Amino acid sequence: MKIESDPTIATDMAADRAGPGFAAKMFDVILRMRAVVALVLLVVLFSVSTSTFLTANNLTILAKHVAITAILAIGMTFVVLTGGIDLSVGSVAGLAGMVAGALLTRGLVFSGMQHPLYPGILTVVFVSLVVGALVGLLNGLLVVRFAVAPFIATLGTLYIARGAALLISHGATFPSLGGEAARHNTGFLLLGQATLFSVPLPVWIMIALAIVASVLASKTPFGRHVYAVGGNERAALLSGIRVGRVKLISYVISTVCAATVGLIIASQLEAAHPATGESFELNAIAAVVLGGTSLMGGRGSVLGSLAGAFVIGVLADGMVMLGISEFWQMVIKGVVIVLAVAVDQLQTKLQLRLARSH
Amino acid sequence: MLNIESRADRAAPASADVVLEAIDVVQKYGGVTALQGVTYRVLRGKVNVLIGENGAGKSTLMRILAGVEPPLSGSILLDGRPVTFRRSGDAARQGIAMVHQELSVLPNLDIAENIFAGRELCTSYGFIRTSQQRQISGDALRSLGHPMSTEVQVGHLSLGRQQITELARSLAHEARVLILDEPTSALSRAEADALFSAIEDLKRNGVSIVYISHRLNEILRLGDFFTVLRDGRVVGDAPRAEVDPRWIVERVTGRPAQSVAAERTVDSGQEALRVESLNVIGSTRDGATRPLLEEISFAASAGEMLGIYGLLGSGRTELLETLAGVRPIAAGAIRVRDAKLAPGSVVKAVARGIVLMPEDRQTDGLIPSSSIRENISVADFNGLMVGPFISRKKELAKVRKIAEQVKLKADDLELPVTSLSGGNQQKVMLARCLMRSPSILLLDEPTRGVDVGAKQEIHRILRDLKAAGVSIIFTSSEIEETRALADRILVLSGGRISAQLALGDASEEALFAAACSHLETPGAVQ
Repeated sequence: MKIESDPTIATDMAADRAGPGFAAKMFDVILRMRAVVALVLLVVLFSVSTSTFLTANNLTILAKHVAITAILAIGMTFVVLTGGIDLSVGSVAGLAGMVAGALLTRGLVFSGMQHPLYPGILTVVFVSLVVGALVGLLNGLLVVRFAVAPFIATLGTLYIARGAALLISHGATFPSLGGEAARHNTGFLLLGQATLFSVPLPVWIMIALAIVASVLASKTPFGRHVYAVGGNERAALLSGIRVGRVKLISYVISTVCAATVGLIIASQLEAAHPATGESFELNAIAAVVLGGTSLMGGRGSVLGSLAGAFVIGVLADGMVMLGISEFWQMVIKGVVIVLAVAVDQLQTKLQLRLARSH
Repeated sequence: MLNIESRADRAAPASADVVLEAIDVVQKYGGVTALQGVTYRVLRGKVNVLIGENGAGKSTLMRILAGVEPPLSGSILLDGRPVTFRRSGDAARQGIAMVHQELSVLPNLDIAENIFAGRELCTSYGFIRTSQQRQISGDALRSLGHPMSTEVQVGHLSLGRQQITELARSLAHEARVLILDEPTSALSRAEADALFSAIEDLKRNGVSIVYISHRLNEILRLGDFFTVLRDGRVVGDAPRAEVDPRWIVERVTGRPAQSVAAERTVDSGQEALRVESLNVIGSTRDGATRPLLEEISFAASAGEMLGIYGLLGSGRTELLETLAGVRPIAAGAIRVRDAKLAPGSVVKAVARGIVLMPEDRQTDGLIPSSSIRENISVADFNGLMVGPFISRKKELAKVRKIAEQVKLKADDLELPVTSLSGGNQQKVMLARCLMRSPSILLLDEPTRGVDVGAKQEIHRILRDLKAAGVSIIFTSSEIEETRALADRILVLSGGRISAQLALGDASEEALFAAACSHLETPGAVQ
């Protein structure tokens, strides 16, 4: 289900044949950095129109919110760059939280044991991430081995993972994830609540993941292969790129990021709720698209997705402060996303024109 | 019959001779002038051949004539009256039709639906008049000498028949001027012959044809009047009687023609590749399986250029793809320097030095969203790494070196690969192959859709590689190219080797006869 846009037609239709002057080049730069430009505009707008936006307290809350969407979007970027999509991330976040909740409050019960075994925090985190990775592996296998369209494959695992999350507790919430000293499993709450240099830990995690993912995408053979697969899968295959493996790893990266989000939320709420993360995938996809990554694959960047996540976060936060009704918030968010994609098409045309004019 | 072959007529053609005329047309894209004052006439009921290197301005001129884009200055006269086309549809309504190099058929629709796509015949209630459409389509196909059922899905047709469908589309809409851009680039010889006879028919029906092609034998056979474009200017303009291959090559390249048949030294080196009783089974478009290749055995040496000639569907592409690890093999073995190659894995084939340059650079080769540099260094970063990271410096150095080796003309390697002309895009593909330092280079139609100048350059590069000891196996649907390059020619016919010819024995007739041999044995087909 891949739609190739024909770049020559796009240039043919670009009726304007004026030389690419300074203005056109500036315009191109602004379009390319549109997520950042939009972010600056929004921050200025909300800073001026409200007195509470630009306060340390609000920015801290904002950053914590953004971190959730951003981490999902960072992982999603790889999948989208290969030309796929991952709808399962919200459910994976919920599932990972529930796995952590079960391990922390119920422990592991093996037959013949009097008391359950309570694994340490690092083990809990590790196991939850592995569960996330397994869902990603399933997504990847469905897409690569069984040639299921990514949309359908991950729609399926969206339900499977959500169902699994509900099955763990039969729909109940695991409360008080603080752990007990006697069980040697305290400390889980630090993940979502600790601060370093008065910046919340989830924000540090977001920054670290953004740096690692950005380097992975731009400086390693794997990253290049991701772009090649998304740009022209058949060409990538014929060039000797292990297309299947590249896709598989991308899906695993996405769900591991999603599992990380699930753990952060459970830690912040001090409870694991099976409905955690519902419809988060939509925010993540919106952030990726706002950040300039093409849903056709092959074009985009991790840092763009990060900026996209900030735009969505700042927009939501600012609209609440301005007292805009929740219903209008949804309308505005939708308009922004659609506009972003329309601008993306404009940018493609402009870039081609600049390229031809060399 | 008008005699347009006399000089007097050509100097001042009576307006009745000329159906479509571009006068002093200028076109610019950004800072680049694509056409610098071109005056071009399309003669009525003739095959008007337009030749020029990629980037000479042919496509721009045709887009202007077909109303796809307006010129910056200059005027267009249709039947002597000035016309302005605002949209592509305007020109179509005036009877100007264009068949693009990359076919633009809708594979999921049937022939009649394709012919009337976008211009459906409707009842006053807005329902499609299916039977009327089928009838007109059927008539058009018959008048082209290709009666076919109009209910067949176009995706199931061979490329040649898809091409015929496109012609029928123009005919059904009563095109008076038909622009054909590289119509035979994807056709076998038999299919091309069918196309040529269809063109002759159209001509007899009074249709004026603009024919763009790089293939000399084709244009010399068909053309009535020749125009050469170079760097956005008309540099040659003559009727058929004054045109020979030398005339064309000199005007297209702007250089005196060199002898194409360079002398060759055939000193067979060590055996590089041995194929033993190779059988490959593939699925057809309707899902059935059938043998694509049967009992293929041959060997290739280092420093040898082995040509594989065959018609479309003969298995030539499948053979190269199998050697490159794209397709699994049903039986037989491939040996590289005496060691068996694990089949069905591109990665393993590349590791053994086998690299494939695919036939269709648009669908199988280029990564359109990436830069020239990224397209060249796409897969292999051996020797370009610092720890786990790609060293930009090392990468650029190697890419630059290879770009120079293939004489890639690009101002900036960071530009999108789509900004290059066809010939240079082909060189990007070749550069990508050379990044892997192949010992066995497989080339599927190495000069498809490439202008004369770039073609000669690619041939020269291949000869250099051969001299350096690379074993080259290539296919070409052009007999002349096969003979000009190959030391030895394998002819494939219906998935089997029908002849192995040494250079001296490989006359055009012998090659063609061998390529068609399966057609003569009943039962061997399909």
